[in-house]
Amino acid sequence: MIPNVAPAPADSAPATAAAAVQPKSGQRAAFSKISASRLFASPGGVAGVVWLAALVVASLTAQWWLPYKTEDQDFTAVLSGPTAAHWLGTDELGRDLLSRIFAAAAGTLGTSLITVIVGVVLGTALAMVAAGRGQTEGGISRVTEVMMSLPGTVIILAVIGAVGTNIPLIMAILGVLISAGIYRVMLGQAKSLQSQLYVDAAKVDGVSTLGISLRHVLPGLTNTIVVQSALIFAVGMLIQAGLAFIGFGPPIPQPSWGGMIQGASQHVYDAPWLMVPTGAVLALTVLAANAIGSALGKAPNTGVSHLPSAAARGQRSVAAGAAASVAEAGAIPAKGHLSVRGLSVGVDGGTPLVTDVSFDVGPGTVLGLVGESGCGKTMTALSLLGLLPAGVSATGGQILWNGKNLAAATEREMEGIRGRDIALISQEPMRALDPMFTVGYQLTAAIRRLRKVGKAEAHAEALSLLEKVGIVDAKRILKTYPHQISGGMAQRVAIALALSGRPRLLVADEPTTALDVTVQAEILSLLRSLVKDTGMSVVMVTHDLGVVADICDNVAVMYAGQVVESGGTANILDNPRHPYTLALLAADPHANTAADMPERLATISGQVPQPKDWPTGCRFMARCQFAGSACAAPVPLLPSGSEDGVVRCVKADELAVEGLEWLATEVPTHRVLKIVEKDLA
Amino acid sequence: MALFITKRLLMALATVLVVAVLAFLLVHAMPGSPGAVSLGAGASQEAIDEVNGRLGWNDPLLAQFFRWLGDAVQGNLGTSLIDGRSVSADLGNRLPVTASLAAGATVLSAILGIGLGVSAAVRGGLVDRIVGGICGLAVALPAFWIGIIFVYLFAVQSSVFPATGYVPFEVSPQDWGMSLALPVITLAVGGAAFIARQTRASMLEALQQEHIRTLRATATPTWKILYIHALRYASLPIVAGIALQFIGLFGGSVIAEQLFAMPGLGQAVQTSVSTHDAPAVQGVVVIATVVVVAVNLVLELATKFLDPKLRAS
Repeated sequence: MIPNVAPAPADSAPATAAAAVQPKSGQRAAFSKISASRLFASPGGVAGVVWLAALVVASLTAQWWLPYKTEDQDFTAVLSGPTAAHWLGTDELGRDLLSRIFAAAAGTLGTSLITVIVGVVLGTALAMVAAGRGQTEGGISRVTEVMMSLPGTVIILAVIGAVGTNIPLIMAILGVLISAGIYRVMLGQAKSLQSQLYVDAAKVDGVSTLGISLRHVLPGLTNTIVVQSALIFAVGMLIQAGLAFIGFGPPIPQPSWGGMIQGASQHVYDAPWLMVPTGAVLALTVLAANAIGSALGKAPNTGVSHLPSAAARGQRSVAAGAAASVAEAGAIPAKGHLSVRGLSVGVDGGTPLVTDVSFDVGPGTVLGLVGESGCGKTMTALSLLGLLPAGVSATGGQILWNGKNLAAATEREMEGIRGRDIALISQEPMRALDPMFTVGYQLTAAIRRLRKVGKAEAHAEALSLLEKVGIVDAKRILKTYPHQISGGMAQRVAIALALSGRPRLLVADEPTTALDVTVQAEILSLLRSLVKDTGMSVVMVTHDLGVVADICDNVAVMYAGQVVESGGTANILDNPRHPYTLALLAADPHANTAADMPERLATISGQVPQPKDWPTGCRFMARCQFAGSACAAPVPLLPSGSEDGVVRCVKADELAVEGLEWLATEVPTHRVLKIVEKDLA
Repeated sequence: MALFITKRLLMALATVLVVAVLAFLLVHAMPGSPGAVSLGAGASQEAIDEVNGRLGWNDPLLAQFFRWLGDAVQGNLGTSLIDGRSVSADLGNRLPVTASLAAGATVLSAILGIGLGVSAAVRGGLVDRIVGGICGLAVALPAFWIGIIFVYLFAVQSSVFPATGYVPFEVSPQDWGMSLALPVITLAVGGAAFIARQTRASMLEALQQEHIRTLRATATPTWKILYIHALRYASLPIVAGIALQFIGLFGGSVIAEQLFAMPGLGQAVQTSVSTHDAPAVQGVVVIATVVVVAVNLVLELATKFLDPKLRAS
């Protein structure tokens, strides 16, 4: 008997790799409207609907098909088990269990529905009011908090003392108590719906608060409403049965499930069978409601585990073992040299995300991986550390590090590489640090682990590392929690953490993107000096050509999971060969000096295609200004002619000869702002 | 922090007061006057009126409430209309029974639930599905039904545990434990399933945090990532879940006490409501609220202490 229904921890769906590929697209799906297909896609959901429907039909038609009246007593068969005459047996007065169970069903289901309606309507309405009018939220939340911290059962019993066993009224009051929990579930969703841009737009258009709530917020809540209704329905039935069990059920001759189980409990010694049928029907009905709720409530893929489950890790080591046999160790082992050859990364048993990527990083050099979002840069970078998200793995090719193929290494082998040989710094420093532990704890733990030193030595080392990354009051920072320091400071800490194992290669996944412009430059110059001082090499993922020009020795331009052009930074920036590189440069405001700044910056129309939409030919073809019929065939990566650069374009030579440039596209004249000189004056 | 604690304390006090008013009103809405209840059927109207007058039943409601409140603050919750015993003394005897029942069930639920939830989240695959199935079943089965099954299995079929009754700790710690075993396990089944789900969801969410990747990138051993970092991150919602569970289990004890014939608060509610024993109902509602609110307060403070962001502010 648990009336304090907590916001049910939704059985969140196993995170799938799809979300890893597009972390941004999944969010709106949380407000999906109720979907019958989702319900019927789940076997549990189907079974639940079937059982509830059958029960309702059976109980409503009970008077026509039930073999006995509920009060018929058969003294020849008292406390009998299942027989031909009594399919589910009889109770202590010889009454037919089957008949009594189904006769009681309609009342149980109907009154539980009262709790659902009162609780869900009240909870949802309160949530919409609180979300719509911010000033009411504090008060409503306070009241619901109090309601949730009450011993609900005891209060319901006191109510029964006052009003008697008036089941519908009691179930309605139960609904009021339960509405507090529903409010809590709904409030978060209602608030985030209220903060959607289209709701702001509607407000600007003068739509009333009520109108917004009904037109824009309520529809987004429907799925949650149905899920909560199903769960509350189950709770209502359990509580009602519980009340009947302790003697507060419907008046005596009338059968109720809880009352019947109470009767059965008196005969646990002489007729244990008696409790089985009623208990089973009650449990099945509750299960059915819960199954419907969880089928509908399955959260759409919201995130991806950064630590594959043990089951997934087992699979990975099998896959790695298989890949290892294919891998050939033909390369020359060079200390601190990374050589990626034909690397492919894909969703397990499905879409490829990165195909046939090759590049080299020599000791003390910096390679930039450049491209738009969704080109596979981060996946490529993470694969170097074996830190691909759950459900994504390297499917082919080699990552040769000191002559060893990391693409086929086991998790155990990778643990020996990570931190000590190859380290990682990521995009959002605040989220990269554990919010629950101090900077000092995180740093010293890593140093002790990676350098095998004692506590005192690790502490001293942590201080010197923090000073090395430019933190002045290192002593104080060691004692702080990540939320107490700024983003730039956190990135310095994250870099210190990455340096704790004296790595030879640093993988930096857009290390400056989330930072303020002024801090960006500081972090870049820190990285530059670290490369100079320690001789480590860096793989820098970025979409910023300015960063490339600033720090990278070599560049690999990635598009839709492929390297489309690579070579020395100066070569690529001064003499780009691939149309995509041309376009990126033309679209970059920083790449053009003030003198030759074009009137209009170029754009690249369209978007990076989804992995499932990659064509067999050139993947950039659909967006390319120079595309021709030859581009439809698969394009090999060929030497570009300058140094060791390579380019993946059949028209590269033609473009170079003709000296074509990526042009800004025409904008329809009516959309051009006409600036007349006298207006400016 | 001090401000926070003060605010919460005031809030808790307000909650208890609201419930006291509610209980008072409910008791006054009960059918029959105290005189009629205490003298039983067949009493003369004069006798009933005499008792009612002595109890101040006809005084203004406000006066009655404050008289009750004044007494209650001094630990006097009145006398039972049925047997004339002190309600405070009776509830004082009963509280340890329910407290050990609810606390035992909460602790057992937490241990089982966290264990199951963590292994479901961490092991994934088949283990996850099996734990999910067990939890689904456990929350669907009514506690009283599970209790009967346990009685059948452990008391009727094999007499491992006593089927009913309660032995106070002072009498025999061992028998006390034995008498609590079945009721505690009965209540813990649903509670453990709830906490297991909460734990699983929180652990999965924790493992989706980016700092887990940083930990792996610095070669943190998997056990440490799971049981120190992820579990620590997941601990906040888990503790909140345990607090909710305690409230639920405290109420659930009504059923367990009825089923296992234990002289606890739940049994007192049940009988006093059935017999319209107004002071007893009023007393037990307030006592139950005080206990639940107090435990909630402690667990909430624990949650705040677990969160560095809130601890610092």
